[in-house]
Amino acid sequence: MTQVGTIVWLSSELMFFAGMFAIYFTHRAVAGPEVWAESTSKLNMPFVITNTAILVLSSVTCQIGVNAAEHLRQRRTGSLLDVRGWGMQEWYTLTFLMGAVFVAGQVTEYAELVHEGITIANSTWGTVFFLTTGFHGLHVIGGLIAFLFVLGSSFVAGRFTHLEATRAVVTSYYWHFVDVVWIALFFVIYFLR
Amino acid sequence: MTAQHTGGPDRHVEPSRRTRPPLFVETVVFGALVPFFILVGVVYIVLTDFEPVGSVAILLLAGLAGLVAFFLFATGRRIDARPEDDPLGTVESAAGEYGEFSPHSWWPFVLACGAAVLFLGVAVGWWVCVIGAVVGLIGLVGLLFEHSRGQHAH
Repeated sequence: MTQVGTIVWLSSELMFFAGMFAIYFTHRAVAGPEVWAESTSKLNMPFVITNTAILVLSSVTCQIGVNAAEHLRQRRTGSLLDVRGWGMQEWYTLTFLMGAVFVAGQVTEYAELVHEGITIANSTWGTVFFLTTGFHGLHVIGGLIAFLFVLGSSFVAGRFTHLEATRAVVTSYYWHFVDVVWIALFFVIYFLR
Repeated sequence: MTAQHTGGPDRHVEPSRRTRPPLFVETVVFGALVPFFILVGVVYIVLTDFEPVGSVAILLLAGLAGLVAFFLFATGRRIDARPEDDPLGTVESAAGEYGEFSPHSWWPFVLACGAAVLFLGVAVGWWVCVIGAVVGLIGLVGLLFEHSRGQHAH
C-alpha cells in the first residue's frame, strides 16, 4: 500500500522535473549559443564528476541497505569494520553521509560559480542552472531528512518489523528516483553543450 | 519478500485455470501508455520542429506511465496471484488484512497547521515561516513515531 502511493507520487515528481527540463531546453533555444558557451566554460568538470559518482554510489549502498531491511537485519552482527555483517542501519548511515557530501559539494560548486559572477539574478543561464540543480538539491536534502526518520524509527524499535522495513524500502525508491533525475540533469547540463 | 502484503493467510486462494499472472491487467493498462506517449511525442517533435516544453513534457509522460508500469511488473513477479487476477474470483476471497492503518490520529492536523502557517509566512513575512516549519516538524515527528512509542512501542 505504502509502496504504491510512493510510486504514484514519484511519477508526479517526474512531471515536476519535466517542467524543470522544459525551462532548461527553452532557455537553450532562446538564449543562443554564445551565452551557452560562455557560461558552461566556467563549470568545474572533474569536481562535478566526482560528486556525481558519490551520489550514484550512495544509491548502491542504499540498495544493499534495503536488502538488509527486507531480511529484517536491523543492525550489524559483527564489528563495525566487518562490512559483510552490516545491517540496514549501517548501510543507511553510510548512504546518508554520502548524500550529505553530495549536498556539500553542490554548495561548493555554487560558491565557485557565484565567485565567477554567475548568480540567479544577473545571468539567464545562472537562473536556469540554479533552478534545476537547486530544486534537485532540495530533493536530496528532503531525502536526507527521510533517512534520518528511517534511522530514527529503526533505532526506537525494539523489534524490527514490516513497518520499519517498509519505510526503508519506500525511502530507497525516492533516493533512486532522485539519483536518476540527477544523472539526467548531469548529462543535460554538463555534457549536452 | 517483506512488506508486500497483499493479504493475510485467509486471503490465500487457489488459482483457477483462467488466473492471469499477478497484476497483469494493471501492468498492461499503464504499460500501454508508454508506446502511446512516445509515438505522440515523436509526432509532436516532428510537427513543431522540437519545441522544447511540449516535447519534454510528452516524452516524460511516457516515463510517468513507465515508472508505474515497471513497479507493477516488478511487484507482480514477487507476489502470488490475487483474487483480482482470477476472472472467476469472488468478493469474499479478497477479505482479510490489507495493511497497517491508524485508527485515528491528530498528527496530520498538526502537520497541516504547520503547512498553513508556512504558506501564510510567504504572504505576511518570512519570519512567520520559521514558526510554521517548527510546528510542521513537531507534526512530522509525531506522525512518524506514533507507532513506535507509548502503547504501540514494539
